[in-house]
Amino acid sequence: MNSKTTYSEQELVNLLQQRSEQAFGYLYDNYSGSLYGVVTSIITDKETANDVLQNVFVNIWRKIESYDPSKGRLFTWMLNIARNAAIDEIRSKGYRDSQKNQPLTENVDTMAEKSASVPMYNDVGLKKVLSRLKGELRVLIDLSYFQGFTHEEISKALNIPLGTVKTRIRTALIQLRTMID
Amino acid sequence: MNVQEYISSGIVESYVLGLASVEERREFEHMCAQHPEVLQARIGFELALEKQAMENTVVPPVSVKEKLMLMIQQDAPAGQSKVITMQNSGTSRKSGMLRYAAAASVILLLGAAYFAYTFYDKNKKLNKSMESMSQSVESMQKKVDQMEEYVKMITDPNVSVVNLAPTTPAKASASIYWDSTTTDVYMVVKNLPKLPSDKQYQLWSIINGQDGSLQPNSMGLFDMSDDHKIILKMPKVQKADAFAITIEKRGNTGGPDLKQVQTFGKTGL
Repeated sequence: MNSKTTYSEQELVNLLQQRSEQAFGYLYDNYSGSLYGVVTSIITDKETANDVLQNVFVNIWRKIESYDPSKGRLFTWMLNIARNAAIDEIRSKGYRDSQKNQPLTENVDTMAEKSASVPMYNDVGLKKVLSRLKGELRVLIDLSYFQGFTHEEISKALNIPLGTVKTRIRTALIQLRTMID
Repeated sequence: MNVQEYISSGIVESYVLGLASVEERREFEHMCAQHPEVLQARIGFELALEKQAMENTVVPPVSVKEKLMLMIQQDAPAGQSKVITMQNSGTSRKSGMLRYAAAASVILLLGAAYFAYTFYDKNKKLNKSMESMSQSVESMQKKVDQMEEYVKMITDPNVSVVNLAPTTPAKASASIYWDSTTTDVYMVVKNLPKLPSDKQYQLWSIINGQDGSLQPNSMGLFDMSDDHKIILKMPKVQKADAFAITIEKRGNTGGPDLKQVQTFGKTGL
């Protein structure tokens, strides 16, 4: 395992685009942990999270041709694939059905209540950072980033004007950034 | 907004985290191409985020990688798929058999395609007819609802009826049903001829002023183009001594054109 060389991002992308399975194994070994961290911050069920992680890497393998380095780093691209896959999963009917304690009618309102009331002591990564945001900003980031609600949906559900939702999410993001740096 | 303000507006984080709208993304990509500072800010945040994520890994079960490696081996993309060359080492007799087998399979394939197509076609037709059926059920339901509303109205003891009698040779007539408890007003059209597209009917409630003058209040413009509208719900009215329908210019905002009164009736209350 240690015999493998390290690749630069550019080399890695080139090799993946040439369908190198070895490069894919390297990619997995290097990034599965951080992407799994993102997936599990959105999906608590372990089995489902495993399936989603698998889909994430299958998608990376299949879509590597469409990765455009001018729009962002490889990790950013993969991070967004992971987040989108996890959100698609929690918003799918199958997933909601499997969450027996959550009624199907659950919507952004009840989500908001939960986000506001449930402390996030056990969270890792971005979610841990998120728990340091103050109440309302935390709810907004949780709803938009971790639950994938659009600004419009949030505006309606919380009865806050759309413009205000946008500026507050921006404010929250700026604060998040200073916490990460 | 200057470039520095743009960078510190939260757009960088919003873009990288996938929260920016389509327009915001487009604008941001444009700004990155134009201003190296913006690009630097983007890369800076990406690296910070990546570092943060790398320090907060959760190790997935080994089985995920095993399954995954198997999957991608089978998932060779088009154009790169491994070609398996067939050895043609058989005798000519064998290849003759092979030809029959090939012909048979082509026939089978054509047959299957034919059936698939017929089923697809039938299914499409069924879907279409179902669609049109559900549409007609819907429009029938609408009519039934109107009828029910009408029956409820005319049998309600609190509802008084005002018959509007024709005042012109066009013989326009309608009835106004006025619910004294809810002050709801319904109009049932008996005969209102269709109008040119620049004209509309307008319903008025009229109160007798103390000085003997008539005070008309508009209760709304309406079209008679739609035959289904046998019954129209009009705005509530507290008090009216009479109702009248006039023909007005489309979208009339002024008072009634008294020369154009088509039908008129007193409430008798």
